[in-house]
Order: sequence, then structure tokens, then C-alpha cells
Amino acid sequence: MKILGRNKLITPVIIQTLKTHPLIIALIAFVVMFSVLIPARFLTPLNFSSILRLFVTYTLFALGPTIVVVIGSLDLSYVGIWMLGGVLLWLLMPILGMLSILVYPLLGLATGLLIGVIQVKAKIPSFILTLSLLVTFAGLAAWLAGGVPRPVREYEFITAPLIPRLPTAFLWSIPIIIAAVFMMKRTRIGTYLYAIGSNEEGAGLAGINVDKYKILAFTLSGLFTGIGLIVLFQHLGGSAPVELKLGNLVWPLAAIVLGGTPLVGGSGGPQRTILGALTLAVATQGLYLMILLPEVVALLLGLLLVAAIVIGTRGLKGVTIT
Amino acid sequence: MVTPMDASLLEVKGVSKTFDGVVRALDDVSIAVRQNEIVGVVGENGAGKSTLMKILVGVYSPDKGELYYRGGKVPFPKNPKEAAERGISIVYQEKGVIPSLEVYQFLLLGHEDKYVKFSRLQIDKMKKHAREILEELHVKCDVENFMYELPLSTQKMVEIARAILSVRLEHGDEDITSIIILDEPTAPLTIEGRRELFSDILDMKKNASFIFVSHIIPEVMEFTDRVHVLRDGKLVANYDLSKEKITEEDLFRAIVGRESSEYIYKPEDKRVVSEEVVLTVKNLTKNGCYYDISFDLHKGECIGIFGPAGSGKSEIIKTIAGLISFEGGNLIIRGQKVKADELPHFRLGRGIGYFSGEIGKELFLNWPITKNISIVNMEKILRKPIPVISFNTERKMAERIVKRLRIRAPSVNTDCYSLSGGSKQKVSVGKWLERNPDILLLEDPTIGIDVGAREDIYETALEMKKSGISMVLVSDDPKEYSMLCDKIMFIKDGRIQKVLSPEEFGEVMAA
Amino acid sequence: MTRLLLSREWLRRNITTVGPMVAAIAIIAGFQAINPRFLSYHGIVALVNNMSIYLIAACGLTFVIMTGSFDFSVVSMLRLAALLCALYIDKLGLLVIPLVLLISVGFGFINGLFVAKFNVPSFMATLGVSFAVDGVGLYLVGRRLFIMGGERAETFMALATTRIAGLPSVFYWAMGIWIISTFIALYTPFGRRTYALGGNPIGAGLSGINVERHRIYVFMLSGFLTGLAGVLFMAWQGGGSMEIGKNMPVPLFASVVAGGTALTGGVGGPHRTLLGVMIITWSEVGMMMLALPSYVIMVFFGLIAIGMSIATIDRRRIKIIK
Repeated sequence: MKILGRNKLITPVIIQTLKTHPLIIALIAFVVMFSVLIPARFLTPLNFSSILRLFVTYTLFALGPTIVVVIGSLDLSYVGIWMLGGVLLWLLMPILGMLSILVYPLLGLATGLLIGVIQVKAKIPSFILTLSLLVTFAGLAAWLAGGVPRPVREYEFITAPLIPRLPTAFLWSIPIIIAAVFMMKRTRIGTYLYAIGSNEEGAGLAGINVDKYKILAFTLSGLFTGIGLIVLFQHLGGSAPVELKLGNLVWPLAAIVLGGTPLVGGSGGPQRTILGALTLAVATQGLYLMILLPEVVALLLGLLLVAAIVIGTRGLKGVTIT
Repeated sequence: MVTPMDASLLEVKGVSKTFDGVVRALDDVSIAVRQNEIVGVVGENGAGKSTLMKILVGVYSPDKGELYYRGGKVPFPKNPKEAAERGISIVYQEKGVIPSLEVYQFLLLGHEDKYVKFSRLQIDKMKKHAREILEELHVKCDVENFMYELPLSTQKMVEIARAILSVRLEHGDEDITSIIILDEPTAPLTIEGRRELFSDILDMKKNASFIFVSHIIPEVMEFTDRVHVLRDGKLVANYDLSKEKITEEDLFRAIVGRESSEYIYKPEDKRVVSEEVVLTVKNLTKNGCYYDISFDLHKGECIGIFGPAGSGKSEIIKTIAGLISFEGGNLIIRGQKVKADELPHFRLGRGIGYFSGEIGKELFLNWPITKNISIVNMEKILRKPIPVISFNTERKMAERIVKRLRIRAPSVNTDCYSLSGGSKQKVSVGKWLERNPDILLLEDPTIGIDVGAREDIYETALEMKKSGISMVLVSDDPKEYSMLCDKIMFIKDGRIQKVLSPEEFGEVMAA
Repeated sequence: MTRLLLSREWLRRNITTVGPMVAAIAIIAGFQAINPRFLSYHGIVALVNNMSIYLIAACGLTFVIMTGSFDFSVVSMLRLAALLCALYIDKLGLLVIPLVLLISVGFGFINGLFVAKFNVPSFMATLGVSFAVDGVGLYLVGRRLFIMGGERAETFMALATTRIAGLPSVFYWAMGIWIISTFIALYTPFGRRTYALGGNPIGAGLSGINVERHRIYVFMLSGFLTGLAGVLFMAWQGGGSMEIGKNMPVPLFASVVAGGTALTGGVGGPHRTLLGVMIITWSEVGMMMLALPSYVIMVFFGLIAIGMSIATIDRRRIKIIK
């Protein structure tokens, strides 16, 4: 039978997928483990809904940066876009009304473009660049907001419940996810980005305009983040924070790494990130229900993350990583 | 009227290229490629081969020169795409492959615009075309494999297929004869891989012409129809191997440009070699690189491992240095067996120093001369009783070395970045001179250095030898072997073929 | 002569040495001009107070950055060290100090193990460890606020608060540690090896340096200094909670970089960090005197961090920058 365009039988396809995506096994293991240990709290519709909520948060933050990780760079600006965008939204609401939500995709696009151009032309490592941008945006947001979170209530309809027990935000996230996966796997841009991540020099020699596509990668990252924030803003409470908390930054990155997109780039992608996000959501919820102490949960998840990296980089022995 | 067989497919005339107004990479070079032939372009490192190829393929533009295609004058291509339209494409020596892409993706990379429908790639169509060309060119692999999954020789074949395909897709005419430039294609391959590659290329000759860039003489002799020899940016010879009787040594002489008399062994000093064995190599084997290598190194002796590129000589010396692990056999350093995967820093403790001509690998370029010399001589510059660094001692040590080796530098505190190539090498040699290891491994010690610095380094090496330091030499320059070695092992295809004395070596080279 | 000194070439090559010095002088002059009480007795005491703890922690971080790695766990370790002192000072007396230092070295060892042996990128590994450390901290301390009291606590606090020549002893501690750090970096084989490792890891191995082991040693040293900073922090402040160091990460990182220690590794050192710490902490004091809100200060530091990182990166060495 034909699966994903290949003529193969279904069982080998499943085995092949498991081999290349070992995280699925971990996911299933977690689900089984929690179902057995704490069925009363884990196997409830409320928990199911909570897991999906976490999934949406991780995914919509992580989809954009995944594109950048594929080319071998890092984009840490997403929290900054959230914070600054939230304040700008509050400021623009009286002037532009409901249209103000467009500030998110526009800000995301502009930020991504700016980062891309600076990274490529000034040759600044993306890690430092986006981190600094994050800090700057956070500071700007705090300054413009006067140091206090500014809620915006007009968008509550975005997350109003449609289907019982199913977070509406999850429904909104589906087209965004599909768009991201489609772009990376079925278009020329995607192929070129993977090529650049795999061997930047070789990609240039093959005639790809590396600079142009790197800038494009950062721009798309910002754009996807911006679009995702249209949903995410309300999903996370309708009011962006003015204090920079490391936690917001780390978990989406964890989803990317856990999902199996290597930090050196060249493979992986959004389809892996959603797997990572789901696993992380399940693990977080389950551990929290079991232990109820957020700090211990964070500790365990941190260990899980480091373990995933160690296992993932086994194949990169000999590469000097600092 | 020129008959079709003699007609040139592609001809460059009088190409010159200078970089930064100083480095003259090419000086009035002309080469021609005919239909369905393999043309060799050979020369030493830095002779200009790469630059010429990059001009043909649009990466560089020449300062002077003309390009003719099928007899008619055409402009030089401005980028690889234009070159492909013209029928020329290149397979690079390294970094040409994109490992994480699937075969069909890599094959068609850059040509996706022909498979795009509403911004969606027609993957089935791409795979179909990919399968077709691979079949046509007898490349055995699955288009859905990832490039990194293929063996290296198959990867090279896919690269060649890609080059041919590029020309066809850009030119739009299936009938065009592609001109494929192969830049040192056999460098990453094993001996078996090379055989396969060449038989496949010969198969492809009916579909394309090839420019084979190399410095491996035996391969060039065997597979090319005509050979152009470049030296220092100039064309010095043009042989037709089907018509003229040319030997390997003829070619060698044209490439290196030295008089044969220079290879005759001249006994400079009495060579003092003691009975004591410092290094024993026994049946050393690494699959794909070298097999069954055995020799003993005595104190004060210098053994040379000579052979064409890819013969395994580089891997052997790197194995002794600890940079590569071996699979079979034994390595015994001063009576102690060494583990196959021991890390390099342990070798220093065993008395082995490794010096490579690849500048920058072991030199700390942003450090001054003083620090570069002292880093392997830390114990010598520490004060007593508290082991802290004495800058005074460090400086004096560096000054001694600079004087002895006649290093051209404003002061010992100059950063190595600003030194000339020869001076950098001398700093590297100097630190080993000071260190006085038992065994010094030299790989390409004088590559790219001016004559004066070269002589200084030879002098130093001989001094070190006299003082009892044993050495192993790997190089591309026969003169070095004659000058420094007591024994020269000739290696081919990973195995020792014969062991020569310097006199015998000189005779072989001069013949 | 002056013409030679101010030639473009000389300036370009020495900007990372000259820049910080000029900046420091400019800042002092600037703030003094705005507020003449900047350099008064009280002003100087304020400057010195702020600077001391930063300096000690920054010295540790400097060593790590010199090897080309990052350490995100510094603040968490400092916090834990400080809180452990508060928790156990009554039970263990001054014995708590070596204990805490040992624990800090242990965490440093773990950092080093992940980076050197398991090839985990340093920012991920240290981030993970920081989670673990915070986890331990939250478990032991929770949301409590500690104020040190009692006889043993008095002795302990005297370590940092005794006035000598008008300045608190913590200052002298900081200067002493700074001198020793500088000494280690510039005068000992250990320091030389650290520079070698950061400057050219392959060359370092070929020169006989056990790269793996040395990296671990450097992280352990950083751990030790961080622990020391934490101990002195608690001695000086006399109390704290899990909120300690909330605003520290960015300024700390900025101080190391502002001094001229490059992120590419191999250049800079603790002697430079003094200047960086001065710039950062004195700017902080100056800006607080101007009643600028904290987020503006954060933005300022973020920008300095970017600027100096960019200026000090050795572009000659890295061909492809991601």
C-alpha cells in the first residue's frame, strides 16, 4: 500500500518510524507509567485537557525556532516577542481596536528579519545575538508597560471553548503546525535549509544563496512565532509578563531538543518538535501530578533533558562542542 | 577544416589571475578539452589548478583570457549556474556532499525550480528522474537513501551524476556533452573505492568529457588521454599520452621542475645511527588505509615513508602521533606497547612530538612566539621553589630559538599571526627543538615555504638527528628524503613495497 | 608618536584592551558630573559593596569563558551556597564553609563532566545543572526568608562586614581573590593551559594537554569561586531567600565580556574582568542614583553584553558563524 508516497507495507513502516523516532517509545512509556501509577489523576478529561494546553504552549513557541535550529543556529527571541508584543498590543488597542493583534505577526516578521540580517552581515553568533535581543525586548516591554503587566481582554473569544474538553487553542494550532511541516518537507525552501544546516559550505558550492536563505530562516522563525502568538497570547492569560523568567525560555527549546532536531542542524524539523512537545507535556503533567512540587518536577525534567542530549550527541563524538 | 575528432570542445587561452595584486595564481595558461576525452591537469599544491577550475566554473573571474566553446568565443561564466548552462560543472574535492539530504534531493539540488508546482515540490517526479540518471550512469543506490548512508565511492559517483545532471537540466538539451571537472576525486577514497570510481568514469566517457585535476601521478598516467602540467601558475608541459611515450618520472620532473642531479645522494655528514631501538611498528593495520606495516626506528635514525598521495603514508605517521587509531598490529614506543585509541596528549609523555606542515593546527596563532615555544616546555620555565612561570626565562628561551633558527620577527613577543609562513614553521620546529623529544614525527614540514627557510629547517633537523633524536618523515618532496633520511620506505596502496637506502633512492628518482 | 598611537590599525587591534579602560573612565566622569556625590565617601562605599561579590563570581566565570564554554549555573550555585550557609550555620558553625565549598566544587565537576566527557553543549549542560541546583535549593528552603542570627552567625558575618580602613572586609576578600585568580591565569602552567584550550583545542591536545581533564578542572575552579562568592554574600548580607541573585545573570555575564574576555576563548582573563565588573557595577550604582528603573538598567547591560561580545570575537578563527 502507499504510505507517504512510498510503496511499502504498513508494519515495516511502523518499525522504521520507531527506529528513527525513538522518542515515541519514551512517550508511550510515560503514558503507560503514569496511567499505572496514578490512574485516578492522570486518566481524567481534565488532565487530558491540561496536557494539550501545555502542548500548545510548547509547540507554538518552538515551531519558529525549530526552523533556525535546522540551519544550525539558535533563536531565543520568542519570549521577547511575546513580551514586547503584549505591551504594544495594550498600547495600540485604543487606536486600532481588534486589528491590533496584527502587531504580533508584524513584530515577529520584523524581528526575524532584523536578526537574520545582522547575523549574516555582521557575522555574530546567533546565540548571543538573539539572547541579547531577548533581554533588550524584555527591558523595552517593562519600560513601556511601566513595570506592570497590562492585560488585554478583547481577545478572550480566541480561546473560548468550542468542543468540550478540547482546548480551542489546540484547534488553532493545527493549521500552523501543518504549515510549518509542509514548508520544511515539501518545498524548495525546506530542502535548502536542511542543506545549509547539513553542510553550509557545500550548499554554497552547490549554488545555493546561503546568505539569502539564512536570513529567510530567521524571518520565518519570527513570522511563525508571531502568528502563533495570536493564539498564544490569550492562551497564556491575555497579558504578557514584564519580568524575564528563564523558565519560559527553556521549555520550548527542550521540546526541540527532545524531539530530535540536532542543534547542529541538517535534519529533524517541526514534525519532530511536536513530538518533543507532546512528550514534554505528558512528562510535565504526569510528574507534577505525582509529586506536586514544581521545583522537583523542574529538576527531573532538567535531568531528562540532559539525558536526551547525551544520548543524542553520542553520534557526534569527536566534534568539539563548547 | 578541422575534423570532428580533433575539434576542441572547450578551450581557454591565456588566462591570468592575480589575487590582491600580489599573489599571481595563474599566468597565461591555456588548456583544451576535446570531445569524449579525459584531460589531466596536474601540479603541486599551489600550482594554480584549483584557481583555474574555479574560473571555468564561474566562482572566480579571470583578469585576462579567452574562452572558446566548440570553436566559438564565449564569455566566461559568472556563476556556477551559467557554467552549467554552458556545459561545465565541477565535483569538488571535499565538502561537496550534503550528508543529511536524501540522494534524490542532493542530485537535484539547485534545480528544484523545474519540479515546483504551486510552491510544492513534485517529489515523485524528482525521484523518478533521479532513478533514471543513476541507472544510466550505473550508480547503484536507492534514491531514498540519505547521502551519509552511502559508501564514499558511491557518494563521489552521485556527485558526478549530479554534475552531469546539472549541465543537462540547465542547458535543456539532452544531447550536450558535459564537461565535468573532477577535483582530486580520489582523495577521500580507499584503494578499492578508487578502482570502482575509475572504471565507472571510463564507462561515462561516452557521455561526457572530464578534466581530471590531481597530483597523483600513477592515476593520471593510467586514466587520462592528455595531460597539462601547471607549475607556479604557468603551463609548463602538455603531453598527449596516447601519442607520446611519457614515463611517470617525466611527469614528475615537469611537475616539480628540478634537475635530476639533485636527487643524487650527497653524503653531507656521517650519519650516526645507534643500535638502540626507540620505536617498533609491527604489522600495523588499518582497514582502508594501510596494511601490515612493520619497521624499527633506531636512536638517531631518520626513516622516510615515501609514496604517492593516498598511499597511506599520512595515515601511518598520524597513527604514530596518536591522531588516528589503528586496528591491528602493535605499536611499541620505547619498549612499551601502546593502546590503539590512546589520546594524542599521552604521546608527548612518551617522548613523541608531532609536527605538521599544516600551519595553524598546532600553533597558537594569537599567541606570541614566546608562549608558543614554552607551551611544550613548561617545566623549563618554572621557577623554584614555587612553580610559577618566569617570564624572563621564557623570553630568553624564545630568543635562543629565534637566533638559532634565524626566525624573521620584530620581537619574540610578536603574535604568530603576523609572521610569514616560513617563520611560523620555524617557530613550530623551534618548540620541538627546545623540547628535545626522543622521536619527532615530521609531516610535510616545509610545505609552502621559501627556499631560505627550508634550508634552515633542514639544517636544524640534521642537528637534531645528530644529537640523538629519531625522526620519521612524510613529505611530497623527494629532496627532503634524500637530505634527511637514513632509510626510505616506499609505500603503495597501503603496503610497504621496498626499503631503499638514500643512494638507491637517488638513483630511482634520477632515472 | 601620538599619531602612531592613534592610527587606525593600532586602534582596531587593541580596542578590546583600550575600550574598557576608556569606558570605565567615561562612566566615572559622566556619573560624577551628573551627581557630584558619586565619588563621595558614601558613594565609593556603595560602589565597593556592589562590586565585591560580583568580582568573585565573575572571576570563576571568566575561567570558563576563557576555555570557550558558558556557565549558566553560576547564579544558582551562588544562591545555594549562600542559603546552605544560612541553614546550617547554627548546627555546624564555621565548618559549614568548607562543606559548602566542597559541594560547589562537586557541581562544577558535574558541569565539567557533561561538557568534556559527554560532549553536551555547555550552555545546555550548565542550564540543566542550574535546574538541579535550584531544585535542591527549593526543596531545602522553599519560600522562606532567612535572617541570620545567633552567636555563630555573628562570627560568620564578621568575615565580611568587619571594617578595615573604612571599607568592609568583603572588599578585601574580593581583591585578594582577584589577585590570586589573575596570578593563576598569567603565571601558572594551569592558567597557560586554560588559554591554550580556549585558543586552539586541537593544538592544545597536540601540545600534550589533557583537554578533557583540564576542562573539568576549570569548571571545578569556577564552582569553587562561585561557592566562595555565595558564602561571602551570605556573610555580608546576613540573610536571603530563593530570590537571591534574581537580577544577576545578565550583569555577571556582561562584566566578564565587558572586560574583554572573548567568548571564542583563549583571550582575556581575570585581570580584565576587574575592569568589566567596575564598569557594570558602577553603572548600576550610577543609574540607581539617577532613579532609573531596573529594567532600563537591564536593557543597558544587555546592549553592553552584545557590543563587547561582538567586538571581542576572533573572526579570524571561525569561518562559518552560526
